[in-house]
Amino acid sequence: MKKILLLFLVLIISQHLLAQVSGTITDEDNQPLIGVSVLVPGTSTGAITDYEGKFQVNAQIGDSLALSYVGYEPLRILITQSPMQLQLKTASVLLENVVVLGYSSKAKTEISSAVAVLSEDELNDTPTSDVATLLQGKVSGVQVINSSGEPGSGAQVRIRGISTIKPGNAEPLYVVDGIIGGSFDPNDVASLTVLKDAGATGMYGARANKGVIIVTTKKAKQGKPMFEIQTSYGQNIADHGNIKMMTGQQFFDDFSAEFYRDYETHEIDKIRFYQDYPQALRDKNTSWIGELFQPAPIQKYYLAASGRTDKFGYYLSGTYYDEGGTFRKTGFNRINLRANTDYKLNSRVTLKNNINVSSAKGSSYDYLDLYYSYLGVPWDNPYNEDGSPRYVDGTDRDWWSRDHINPIHSIDNSDYNYKGVDINYDLVLNINISDWLSFSTSNRLSFSTNKGHRFVSPLAAGTFHGKGYIQESQDMWYGAISTNLFKFQKSFGSHDIDGIIVGEFESGQNEDLSLEGKGLPEGFDVPTVASKEFAIGGSRDEGKFRSFISQINYNFDKTYFLTASYRIDASSNFPPKSRIAHFPSISASWLMNKMPFIENSKWLTSLKLRTSFGITGDPEIGASRYLGLYSLNTQYGNNPAATPYQLANPDLTWEKTRQLNVGVDAGLLNDRINLGFDLYNNTTTDLIVLVSQPLSQGFEFRWENSGAVSNQGIELNISSVNVKTRNFEWTTSFNIASNKNELKDIPHPFYTTIGGITQIYENGREIYTFVLPKWLGVDTETGGPLWEKIERDDEGNIISRSPTSDYSEAEPQIVGKALPDFSGGLSTSISYKNISLFANFAYQYGNDIYNFTRVFMDNDGHEPYYNNMVAKDDWSRWQRPGDVATHPSFQNNALSKEVSSRYLEDGSFIKLRTLTLSYDLPTKLTDRMHLRGMTVGLSANNFFTWTKFWGQDPEVTLNRLSWSMPGVSDFKYPNNKQLLVNVSLKF
Amino acid sequence: MKKINKIIASIFILLWFSACGDLDVIPQDQLTTGSIGNTADGIINATNGNYALIKDGAEFNGIVDDNNAYLRQYFQMSDFAADDLLCGQKTEDPFYFTFTYTHSPSQSNARFFWYISYKIINGANAVIELLEKKGELTDAEEQLLGENYFLRAFMHFNLVRFYAKSYNNGDPSANLGVILRRSTAEPSEKARATVQETYDAVLEDALTSLEHFKTSRGVAFASTEAAWAFLSRVYLFLEDYDKSVEYADKVIDSGKFVLETSESYPTYFRNAMNRSETIWAIQHTPSDSRGKFGSIASMMYSDGNSGWGEEFATEGYRSLLQPDDVRRLYIDTVFTDNGDIQKKNGLDMFFVTKFSFQDGDPNLSSPVMFRLAEMYLNKAEAYAHLGNEALALENVNEIRKNRGLENQQYSSVPSGKTLLEVVLEERRLELAFEGHRFFDLTRNKLPIDRTYWGYHIKGLTIGQIDPNNPPEGYDNLVIEWDDPRKLYFIPIDEIIANPLCVQN
Repeated sequence: MKKILLLFLVLIISQHLLAQVSGTITDEDNQPLIGVSVLVPGTSTGAITDYEGKFQVNAQIGDSLALSYVGYEPLRILITQSPMQLQLKTASVLLENVVVLGYSSKAKTEISSAVAVLSEDELNDTPTSDVATLLQGKVSGVQVINSSGEPGSGAQVRIRGISTIKPGNAEPLYVVDGIIGGSFDPNDVASLTVLKDAGATGMYGARANKGVIIVTTKKAKQGKPMFEIQTSYGQNIADHGNIKMMTGQQFFDDFSAEFYRDYETHEIDKIRFYQDYPQALRDKNTSWIGELFQPAPIQKYYLAASGRTDKFGYYLSGTYYDEGGTFRKTGFNRINLRANTDYKLNSRVTLKNNINVSSAKGSSYDYLDLYYSYLGVPWDNPYNEDGSPRYVDGTDRDWWSRDHINPIHSIDNSDYNYKGVDINYDLVLNINISDWLSFSTSNRLSFSTNKGHRFVSPLAAGTFHGKGYIQESQDMWYGAISTNLFKFQKSFGSHDIDGIIVGEFESGQNEDLSLEGKGLPEGFDVPTVASKEFAIGGSRDEGKFRSFISQINYNFDKTYFLTASYRIDASSNFPPKSRIAHFPSISASWLMNKMPFIENSKWLTSLKLRTSFGITGDPEIGASRYLGLYSLNTQYGNNPAATPYQLANPDLTWEKTRQLNVGVDAGLLNDRINLGFDLYNNTTTDLIVLVSQPLSQGFEFRWENSGAVSNQGIELNISSVNVKTRNFEWTTSFNIASNKNELKDIPHPFYTTIGGITQIYENGREIYTFVLPKWLGVDTETGGPLWEKIERDDEGNIISRSPTSDYSEAEPQIVGKALPDFSGGLSTSISYKNISLFANFAYQYGNDIYNFTRVFMDNDGHEPYYNNMVAKDDWSRWQRPGDVATHPSFQNNALSKEVSSRYLEDGSFIKLRTLTLSYDLPTKLTDRMHLRGMTVGLSANNFFTWTKFWGQDPEVTLNRLSWSMPGVSDFKYPNNKQLLVNVSLKF
Repeated sequence: MKKINKIIASIFILLWFSACGDLDVIPQDQLTTGSIGNTADGIINATNGNYALIKDGAEFNGIVDDNNAYLRQYFQMSDFAADDLLCGQKTEDPFYFTFTYTHSPSQSNARFFWYISYKIINGANAVIELLEKKGELTDAEEQLLGENYFLRAFMHFNLVRFYAKSYNNGDPSANLGVILRRSTAEPSEKARATVQETYDAVLEDALTSLEHFKTSRGVAFASTEAAWAFLSRVYLFLEDYDKSVEYADKVIDSGKFVLETSESYPTYFRNAMNRSETIWAIQHTPSDSRGKFGSIASMMYSDGNSGWGEEFATEGYRSLLQPDDVRRLYIDTVFTDNGDIQKKNGLDMFFVTKFSFQDGDPNLSSPVMFRLAEMYLNKAEAYAHLGNEALALENVNEIRKNRGLENQQYSSVPSGKTLLEVVLEERRLELAFEGHRFFDLTRNKLPIDRTYWGYHIKGLTIGQIDPNNPPEGYDNLVIEWDDPRKLYFIPIDEIIANPLCVQN
């Protein structure tokens, strides 16, 4: 009996112990999901779904199950039967839970630093060749400027202000699929993470000063093969902003006549005027802008196939992007192919291969042709009687436009094109050494080459007339990078600890080559036919990087999180004694969801406080900046010649930024509303600056570490589901950020200047501050320009300010700045049943733009043979004493177009970047067509810009390069308004 | 498991070795300052580099602007401030400040000229120091040493003429000259020397160069004769007329140079490197053509495409050209289709072609720094000051004989003119557009008279030009010889970074 009892007991217990609940988990399309984690909360019991989506777990009816899977909403469900049929929903945007941080990934709730994530859907709202364009207005603290509409051109991205004052690259670091650098097509992006504070960027130490953008390309999804096709087709239309050039009649009556206004009688001397300018000119009206800018087609085709078996997953895609340029003979196209594959070699080892190959081709333009397309006088007819473009040069007397150039003829007789190939091959090997330790090695080989071709036919007017000109240039970059990391993970009760140790090695070389020649026979444009004035050029340079990185993450009870990382970088750009630099960072957060006041709250769903501190750097100063150098790039009488090039500085060291960030994330009303708020204070010290030397040393500058710049800011994001019913949903996402930039510890102020436009770098000021003579308008009595004269006492204190008509007395003073006070964006989406409307706005406020184009197009008669822009409503020209006017008399205009605050304008704007209407075909219909889904849509991009800026458009460059100054609007390839039809199919 | 450990270990070892190479990267198209003296070629290349800097454009303020080249600024800063060329078009180019005398410390042509002059001076210093450290020198090395001393003297001399009061204006031992840079080792902050000290240093370096010249490298390089010609010029500015004559005679008596004739003179400037009148010229090869945006020629000549053609010979200059004078062939009148003189912005167009047509290129020439004609004219000016009319006129006639004016030589000073006027008129005719006129007037204490229409008149518009009457009542028409506005400002960059340097 005892035995029977015992047996019974054992049976009961074992039955209880061995009680198996089984089930199948699928996605919304009823495709099985492989690898879903199934847990019984409160126990250590769990399972993973197999190839058919099936699982078995030791549990009982009445227990609950927690299902979680990357990319899907987690599900908690009570076991009511076995087997169970369960379905997971694709994670909606607001519930994105795993964030790729570069070397590692983390659940969003566990992150202690300031990061922003954009999913594929949020990102890819319009076809483009450059992913940065797509960030505009979408992430707080990220300023994105599309400063050129040239097909194939990219946007400028600035994360949390400007942390460097040296010229050159200020773009953030891109990390593609866990490896620094790399290339990709925007359509292949599965998610994009912007790392904003040192807690996150600290892992990239030396390279992280300008922020980091982590790009993750698409991978195979579970299940049977899937195909996707996206096509877009539309038109680019040049956006000339507020510029309208004068017609032939306006140029005659409103501009040219002014030259003959008698300064004494104040009347136009019509007799002399009509003598010099025949009245018939009034009726001649060439719209140069109309002739040179035409709407151009834009098209994109994206095809992808993906699938997964238990050992092998693949994602293959091809994108063809073809963008016509609105400016005559410009355009760009690119083919991008990507193959991401992964193989499970055995239970421990997986191998990943990512290959990206792209090939691009484009036709560019010459700046002067663009310039003349605005400034051509409307009385000139660019065509011969037979309709061919007319040849014009300085000997033509019946041509009015200043430099005797017909840009249409120049463009048709020249060619500026380029081609490029870019190949990246990633090989990643992952080895699970034990249940707590794994090793992975990620290796990338990159190769890219670009070829440029500049050709001017001997038929073209200008310097190469009669001889022609050809230049071919080629550059080649090849590099290798290897990232090797050990990753460990352990839990002890409520304590979770994980971490990584990384060794990273990189080396890259750049080689370029160029040749040019003249004396081309007509009709040929290959270098071999050039017969004279040859020149060759070529260079090689090399950079090496070596890094050691470690990071530890700890959390207690999934409530208190702590992350510490330490990176050591060594770069060949620095002299031996400062070659190695150390970059620590630490971050912590407290997820307060378990606090009673949240658990009991009706409106507060989640709350997290986080803070981070760390140091990052910037090594991008170019090779050999610390050496004293002679350059060998010239000759004298065909003999080699060496010229002093650079002063040595053996003390040169890294720019380093100390970054502090404090943030709060909150979810309200069941996460219907999500708030993010961040405060930061970053100080970059040891700025690498070209410090002015007395010119009498024979050197202008020396690379030195001098001064500091701080960026302090506030960022706020609010995203909300405003209305959600079965058929109707309205969501909005708003962000705003304000950054205050300030220079410190600069020994003495210095200036940068382009065409006389000057910006000062001075303690207490922000970077890119304009210092110009102040324009005080027009003297009502004389019609002459007035500037502000400042009188000072012996100590330099200002005694008085008064108007002066003598430009040389007008002391340059602080009059504006190129950086905005705040910027941000707003996205909103409204959907009703299958129809949805999406709009994305970007804005910035408080920046000034120097409208350099007005120096030419609004020139007070300084340039008699440049066309002028139609005056803004509130502009007026002085004609007689007593006139209160904005513009001086042509007869008394001395130096009125010299650099002054006159051309400094408010650069604030709001732009409707994208407006999209789309329609998902009903499943009934798509099923009949054997499709998983089909969407058709219409988009209008950049159609509305609200701005006071009276120039091309207010998106003005932030690059400080030898030919460009931040905040200065020079003639540029205009941005595009776009109208597009989009169709996407899934099957 | 063991197998995996082995894989990991071998990957790591492999990577460690492949990446452990040192992090020293030496540039492949540049020499480090330390290694320039290590090879014989290094010294030659560095010396050639100092000449190349005279002809090349160079980056300045982060910009490679074609405008910025030593020679272009040298000629424009002097001739555009004088009365042989008029401004036919307002422009963004900083030479407009030269035309209008609206100089400022931030004017980029004067800043660049200062900068590049000192770059050459310091380039010369580096070579001089390397060679002097060496001790025993070969003849070739001696020659290079001489050339670098010469270049240093030449650069300081041009600087002191642009940025300081002329030697005969006030007290040269009190007036500020320029900063003397004669060593690479001195502190970066340094005060200006006086005018006297500057000229002393110029003379000392020029005389030192004479001790080192051995085998001349041709007229593209400095030589004994170039240094003599230079000294003849310098002594004119110092009003040491005997010395000026002495050094001019050394050049003439060397027998190495022959004046161009009226037949050859019209093609002289396009062939300057190969002609016997040239003492020193800055050699340009076809690849050195600086095109529309950077050549000296492009501002004063255009074939329709080659240049801007915005600066024209003035009537004051043209009216001196007699019908037989072959020098008039360097003035190219532009006609309209019906035979009138073409106007631009209301002004008659007379192009100047002294800097054109080497190798057929309208923008190419090898600008002459010293030529034999100047030696005769230096003598003429010296003798005029010394009161020796016969010798002064003899030297003037030497030029006229070879310029198509065989029959219009001077036997005496024409009535109504002084001897000096005759000499300066000939200098103007002969040396026009070559960077002399501005300094000739200043040195001889004569005003620059620009009472003619042109856009050197600030704020002028086409409607104001009255072809029948000269301009009246405008600023800038006459610039007195000692007008302080003739001095260029010390560049703002120098003033800020070198507190010891005092502004003009």
